[in-house]
Amino acid sequence: MRRPTPKSLEALRKFAQTDAKRTDTVFCADTGVTAAVIVGLAIHKDELGAPLCPCRHYEDKRAEVAAAYWNCPCVPMRERKACHCLLFLPPEHPFAGTGREIAEEEITQLLE
Amino acid sequence: MSAAVPVGDSNFKTEVLDSELPVLVDFWAPWCGPCRMVAPVVDEIAQQYSGKLKVVKVNTDENPQVASQYGIRSIPTLMVFKSGSKVDMVVGAVPKTTLATTLEKHIDIK
Repeated sequence: MRRPTPKSLEALRKFAQTDAKRTDTVFCADTGVTAAVIVGLAIHKDELGAPLCPCRHYEDKRAEVAAAYWNCPCVPMRERKACHCLLFLPPEHPFAGTGREIAEEEITQLLE
Repeated sequence: MSAAVPVGDSNFKTEVLDSELPVLVDFWAPWCGPCRMVAPVVDEIAQQYSGKLKVVKVNTDENPQVASQYGIRSIPTLMVFKSGSKVDMVVGAVPKTTLATTLEKHIDIK
């Protein structure tokens, strides 16, 4: 199983928390979803140099990173707070939770 | 105890396209959050329609050929195949009822 470096994982965890506050969005009610997406973003940051969205299939990941459209926060998120990965949800979304914080342990437990 | 069976580039034709039963294919990736929400729903569907529907899953990271061939972009994407052709598609995490409604258009539920 691919694993992210602790440095990227912590950077992306902090980014997710900060960006949720900044954009007035919340995490998913199922924080396992949040944790998985943060791991996916961190792995892409390590492997490709940018946190490419882990909820898309790409013909060429390096070309996508260069195009930047799906680098998190992606263009749809920046333009209209649309995150199909369910990392950032408007509070009225059916899958929305209430929190904007996720503990390191909640993420690392997915990697065990 | 039916659950979605993993299939890939090498056996997609025999397992999906050549299947006599309609097939639900769950295109997923390891660190896609909403894929984790959909997986248990897909397993429940496999149980509920056992004998009427075949249910498989494709890891798009490991099987880029079939993912590209069917134009997978957003994941999870759920596709329904009948007699070798794609007949329907649901994109994103959806409740079980939504998926069941889509499937019942394509399978014999008597």
